[in-house]
Amino acid sequence: MFYTRRDFLKAALGTSTLLSFASAAPNFLVRSVMAAAPRRKERDTVLVVVQLSGGNDGLNTVVPYEDDEYARNRPTLRLPTKELHKIDSEMGLHPRMGAFARLYKEGHLSIVQGVGYPNSDRSHEGAMRIWHTADPDQPNRQTGWLGRAIDSVWNPNKTNAPAVFVGPTARPFGLNAENAIVPSIRSLRDLMTGQMPGYSNDQSQKKHAAELPRADKGNPLLGFLQHSTLNAYTNSRRIEAVAKTAANTAEYPSLALAGSFRTVAQLIRADVGIRIFFMEFSGGGIGGFDNHANQLGNHCALLHQLSESVAAFVHDLKRDKLLDRVLLMTFSEFGRTVKENGRRGTGHGAAAPVFLAGGKLKGGLIGPRPSLTDLDNGAPKFHTDFRRVYATVLDQWLGFESRTVLDRQFEPLDVLNV
Amino acid sequence: MAVQIDKPPGQYQSGQAGPAASEKLGDPGWAWAAYQPDAWQPWNLAQAGHLFRRAAFGADWDQLQQALSDGPQRTIDKLLRPQANIAAFNREHDEYESSTASSTDSLRAWWLRRIIQTPHPLLEKMTLFWHSHFAANGAKVKNARLMQRHVQLLRSQALNSFRALLKAISRDPAVLIWLGAEANRKALPNENFARSLMEAFTLGAGHYTKKDVREAARAFTGWFVLRGQLRYISREHDGNVKQILGQKGNFTSDDVVRIVLEQPATSRTLVRKLYRWLICETAEPDPKLIAPLAQSFAKDYDVLKLVETMLRSNLFFSRVAYRRRIKCPVEFALGIVKGLEGVVSTTQLAQDLADLGQNLYSPPTVKGWTGGRHWINSATLVRRHNLAMALLRGSGPYANKLNPWAVAKKHGCSTPESAARFLLDLFLQGDLGPDVRDALLKKIQTPAAADGDDPAGTLRRFAHEIVTLPDFHLA
Repeated sequence: MFYTRRDFLKAALGTSTLLSFASAAPNFLVRSVMAAAPRRKERDTVLVVVQLSGGNDGLNTVVPYEDDEYARNRPTLRLPTKELHKIDSEMGLHPRMGAFARLYKEGHLSIVQGVGYPNSDRSHEGAMRIWHTADPDQPNRQTGWLGRAIDSVWNPNKTNAPAVFVGPTARPFGLNAENAIVPSIRSLRDLMTGQMPGYSNDQSQKKHAAELPRADKGNPLLGFLQHSTLNAYTNSRRIEAVAKTAANTAEYPSLALAGSFRTVAQLIRADVGIRIFFMEFSGGGIGGFDNHANQLGNHCALLHQLSESVAAFVHDLKRDKLLDRVLLMTFSEFGRTVKENGRRGTGHGAAAPVFLAGGKLKGGLIGPRPSLTDLDNGAPKFHTDFRRVYATVLDQWLGFESRTVLDRQFEPLDVLNV
Repeated sequence: MAVQIDKPPGQYQSGQAGPAASEKLGDPGWAWAAYQPDAWQPWNLAQAGHLFRRAAFGADWDQLQQALSDGPQRTIDKLLRPQANIAAFNREHDEYESSTASSTDSLRAWWLRRIIQTPHPLLEKMTLFWHSHFAANGAKVKNARLMQRHVQLLRSQALNSFRALLKAISRDPAVLIWLGAEANRKALPNENFARSLMEAFTLGAGHYTKKDVREAARAFTGWFVLRGQLRYISREHDGNVKQILGQKGNFTSDDVVRIVLEQPATSRTLVRKLYRWLICETAEPDPKLIAPLAQSFAKDYDVLKLVETMLRSNLFFSRVAYRRRIKCPVEFALGIVKGLEGVVSTTQLAQDLADLGQNLYSPPTVKGWTGGRHWINSATLVRRHNLAMALLRGSGPYANKLNPWAVAKKHGCSTPESAARFLLDLFLQGDLGPDVRDALLKKIQTPAAADGDDPAGTLRRFAHEIVTLPDFHLA
């Protein structure tokens, strides 16, 4: 007999007591109850996927400052060596990514270089589709890799939402599942039950009628609905409790992206069984990563937002001892051309770096840095298939079976301390 | 209290049918014979509610009462072949769609409005069935006009001929674009349509080979969608001999449709799928039950006849079917709207239903909405709760279109308590066990909240309690 955290709460407090109590419970009490819970046997790792829409310029993100080709190809866009956050004798992070540099030093950030796939697609839609389906050979594939992952672990006895998309944009195709319903949310409120007008506080804390026992043992669907309704209301109240207590304590920069990260952190803290979070960073009003002209300033702002927001997220989780359960990965549909294009911008490219952040990383730069002379149509070549990154997070982190999701076994990367 | 309410049908709560009925459930002869009420399976409010949940999108009080006095078979007659001028109603709505349908967002709102107002809800129920079956996705087709015509096509054959429907589907630009089959060159046969035809639309996996798909693709050569128009270019048609599912000839696209319809697997697959939609989704039906219906369906592919057999049957009115489906989001929301006799903003509703996982005009994959238990998770249940709240609260995006107290008064209730009993019968037909029922009714009896509550507010909250019960999610 082992306890999950939720079983513990039920056993310790009694479900109905907790339900009426959770929203009013002081934060320290909720936390101490959660901290006292034994580790669950089942995996409860969380994956956060951050999509950088538009095609991020990998070379001006993780900069090969010692390579003469970099400066030669980037007369106006090259970043001054002395301003870079050097991570070794060849590479440095963009000047506005100081927060990422600190995460890197702390071992909470890894950089996988040269990630891509054969015959790179240079159209936004086509390339993004490939990253979402994880199937470059079937452009008509109708499910996303995360959608398939969710379907592959479906279990009718587990009625937690398996994954959510957090943000104001349309849900990316990567979450498209054949069976599962994957919600999009803008804020925690979307996962909390509202209350009909006119309930006094006294009434609202009474047991909801939906939670009352049913006589019918003959209909399996009714039992299922009863169980899932109770679970849904419990989860809602856990989110409510966390939203009330933790909202103002963690420090996040006042950026749209950071706001989404705060929401994700609160959902992780609420412990409502969501294993996968997906977010899109497409600029938020300052233009996305697709910088064909005057790239420098825009790109600065984007990378600054990204690194500050991720760092705030990591520190928030670390403070609550949750970071060890969380792995974040970024991706973009492609990198950009080595040579700038005469309009202080760059063209659509191929391979680019992928960032991993979390508490269980080995750290460091993964894989050799891509050559700036041996190119794929003007852009850095890939050496690590993006599906190896997917296989890593599926097999080694989430404990899913990547082979059923990706149709064959890709070799995972040796990046995690698990 | 002036209202006459039927006693709740106790036999369902214990999950027991009569001993004689139990033995007969697996007997196809008895299962598909027309239901005649008797002591074990009486015709009552619960059965009427069941019928309207499956053959329509729920019912209002008058419809339930009319059904009680009409009896089952007459009620089914009216659902299958209503007296109203259906053609005129649908023509009018087609025109509304055409005049404003610049996007699938407005199309889905119009469709929901049509479902609320139609005199022929079974037609819309079956149109929705075919929409999930063919699963054309507007986000991929990117042409609202073609999507509009596609759903009109589904509606025109929804209770008609599956043969005619399938043939029209094979020439439907929306479907061809959706499947990536808009170019079918002789030199480069496109297998996308042929594969979906065999796998998803007719035979099902395991009843055809890759070679059948390849050969069928050759028969479809010559058909193109150019600028949203279907075109046949005869020099692009491969007129040579093909071998498809054991038949040999210089087949055309129509021949392929004929050949797949001749395969017994096709009618079996369709009957099974309709069984899941109209009767029960908890267990795979015994092949013995499916066989007689499949044989009969294969003769003429008359959908109306098949639907009619299922709806009239003993099986349909047995415990095998009763509450053995989970409502899709459309059924969940419209069950509330229909019961309370209102018309709400369907633009808002279409978006809220999309958030619940059912985005009309955009099914997730070629397999349509899987549904069943997949509709339900913590997030979707919270959203069902919140959608019901938005519909019932009397203000906000849905305004004050639904008013449970006013509806109850209209049907003769004069006190909050009688109105509460009325709502229980309207929405659940007394399916609840006495303990749950009593606990709910106690809320009405306890003195109103501190805010000096009026009956309208009390009944809104009560209606919300009912439609968020686990029981209400079951069709």
